[in-house]
Amino acid sequence: MRSHHARAVLMLILVAALAVVASWEFRAMRQADLILPGPGVTRQTTLGAYHNALLGSSAETPVYVLEGALPGGTLCVLGGVHPNEASGFLAATVLVEHIVVERGRLIVIPQASWGGYTCTDPMEAYPEHYTIPLPMGERTFRYGSRGMNPIDQWPDPLVYLHHPSGQQLSGIETRNLNRCFPGRPDGTYTERVAYAIMQVLRTEGVDIAIDLHEAAPEYPVINTIVAHEKGTEIAAQAVLSLEFEDLQFTLERSPVRFRGLSHREWGDGTEAYAFLMETGNIMQGRLRGRTTPELLVSGIDRMYLKAAAIGMVKIPYDSSGVPIELRVGRHLQGIAALLEGYNDERPERRIMLDRLPSFAECASGGVGAFLNSPTTFHPSTTGEIP
Amino acid sequence: MTAFRFHFVLVAVLITCFAISASAQKAPTFKQPVLLTSAGQSADVTMASTLLKKAKIEALAKPLAQPADLKGIHTLIVVAGFSSKGLGAAGISREDEMNRVTTLLEAAKKAKIPVLTMHLGGAARRGSQSDDFNKVAAEAAAYLLIVKQGDEDSFFSSIAQEKKIPIEVVDKIAGAVAPLQSVIP
Repeated sequence: MRSHHARAVLMLILVAALAVVASWEFRAMRQADLILPGPGVTRQTTLGAYHNALLGSSAETPVYVLEGALPGGTLCVLGGVHPNEASGFLAATVLVEHIVVERGRLIVIPQASWGGYTCTDPMEAYPEHYTIPLPMGERTFRYGSRGMNPIDQWPDPLVYLHHPSGQQLSGIETRNLNRCFPGRPDGTYTERVAYAIMQVLRTEGVDIAIDLHEAAPEYPVINTIVAHEKGTEIAAQAVLSLEFEDLQFTLERSPVRFRGLSHREWGDGTEAYAFLMETGNIMQGRLRGRTTPELLVSGIDRMYLKAAAIGMVKIPYDSSGVPIELRVGRHLQGIAALLEGYNDERPERRIMLDRLPSFAECASGGVGAFLNSPTTFHPSTTGEIP
Repeated sequence: MTAFRFHFVLVAVLITCFAISASAQKAPTFKQPVLLTSAGQSADVTMASTLLKKAKIEALAKPLAQPADLKGIHTLIVVAGFSSKGLGAAGISREDEMNRVTTLLEAAKKAKIPVLTMHLGGAARRGSQSDDFNKVAAEAAAYLLIVKQGDEDSFFSSIAQEKKIPIEVVDKIAGAVAPLQSVIP
């Protein structure tokens, strides 16, 4: 009898210890990533500045403004609309930390779905963090979830009704920022974030807006630029320009009837030319094997080698994988190409970026070559979420 | 005997030359005005429009062109390749698009308007969804202009050989400008 009591107490202690460890890990996801603004950043604010309802909430993600000395148009780049699509966040972070604007203005929101960075997707075995090597040292970032954290918006309805169209989608999409544009000021947590981003585009008079994503290698819309109809000619020009760099992109038109997507709602609801770019992320694939931080960075997976051999993969795939530096490089080169097309279309409001790394530079130097080192840089954005 | 051998070899050489010239079809020339449309609603039709501008060829771009749009047209350019996003953008179903394409191609044939079919999207515009459109557009063509990556399995080359359609395979999309200038002077 006494031994039973002892076992029960032991089990309770074990369960309590596991609960403490799990809570500790869960809370660690709320520790903000270190972003070290480079010399080009002239102003730093948060999404709350564009919609008061977000002030003091976990949705108050940083917004960086890089203003050039010469007048021109405004480019807005979003990373982390889906926090499990790491190359978009890293490309946006490179913009914040490395580049300088010569003409016009650049607004960057590297972690648009801030709430999605505080958890991972259930049942995916995703790691909570991954590491990018620097020339000296390394940087660690969170790997988040596709949707916002349910702790901020719960429960999910059975059917999600998009505002204002009334389009019906699966209930889980209610926390997917890229199904909630244009949002509404007094809507759900995700709708309020979507509304605040629309306010950024409207109040800052954004001319060209680019949303950076990744997708599973078996998804047909991949290595792609999706363009709102206002900007299809700019995108066509960009695809041709990228082809000269030996980067193949396909061009897709933004569907008119599929509502809530960034390229559709930004293009319809603001003056901006709206684009979305996709690269291939093995971590999101259904066919992947062991899911580790190394897989996210290297993109090397033997199951995908087999899938590629039987034609199930929509991107070129071999034993060298699709490493993060190539995915970030594609985004950065894609931004350069879209800007080139935009500058031809709107020469009176052209935008010129300096120090924008090319695909070849990312491929040879790695992403870390364009990120600042915490050991030599004073961190300005760190700590607990407000 | 020697004379017989000589004539035999001569005849064989002539037959071979004839066969070679028949298989490598000479590219036709097309007249303007040009109507540009899609078969499958991929955004490659916008790419083709950009290429035509670079080639300084004026074209009326109508991704959803109907037989009535052929009035006064001397060349129909069809850009083949399926896109579900493109169909969504156009607000039509796959079946609607296939009906539109076949009706348009029949109308062009009836009106004796030659068809120039382009395939620019490489491997991304191949596969079961795209190939129905690729086949219909390619078989109706008087000339095929194809980006190499879309013909790795000789899909278009085989159609060209079988139907005796002149074909130009270019390495890159941008490489399509020169052949366009050549066939639409």
